[in-house]
Amino acid sequence: MIKVLFFGILSTKCKTKELELDITSAATVKDLIAILKERFSDMPDGPFIIAVNETQATLDTIINDNDEVAVMPPFSGG
Amino acid sequence: MTRTDRVRIQAEDFSLADEVQLLQDSSKRIGAIVPFLGIARDFSGDAEVKSIEFEEYKGMALKALKALREAALEKFDIIDLTIVHRVTTVGAGDNIVLIIAASEHRKAAFEACEWTIDTLKETVPIWKKEITPDGESWVTEHP
Repeated sequence: MIKVLFFGILSTKCKTKELELDITSAATVKDLIAILKERFSDMPDGPFIIAVNETQATLDTIINDNDEVAVMPPFSGG
Repeated sequence: MTRTDRVRIQAEDFSLADEVQLLQDSSKRIGAIVPFLGIARDFSGDAEVKSIEFEEYKGMALKALKALREAALEKFDIIDLTIVHRVTTVGAGDNIVLIIAASEHRKAAFEACEWTIDTLKETVPIWKKEITPDGESWVTEHP
């Protein structure tokens, strides 16, 4: 089971801030995004910034059980 | 987290004067202090903005701000750097973010201050949502 967090406009579009998912072993960030886009039809096409366990990740990053994956729109602080 | 921490994310307001004084009192080597104060505008494009709501990725945002401070201290010839970002709902005219660079000579402090706010906008997981009379919208750019 992994935890997926949505922020900013993504949480508004997906109508949730957090969900838990079962993923197959050796799934990548790219696989996860495909799963999320299937589940949330209003999810934008991107760009996204992805963090796995609070560290910025790439599309090829492997997601492991118990990971926390943040799906974030471009930052707009300051 | 205490008020004297050089990197903070907080809901409450901060005092520019107090934060400058803290840096000024910390070293007699300091010959220049450059602050950047980001405040909430009452407009966005043609729309009136009543308030701005901030959201952070708690944990990662503070880590990113600390890394940003370390990078600035490494990159520029500065003595110290304070970064304070509010995460709450602010009204037009309210403080949002404060960056203060302190150095022996002014050039490094000016450069570090500008680089830090520019880089903060690109690397720190904080988002803002503008509340207007017609509704609310997430800000997706960082001009």
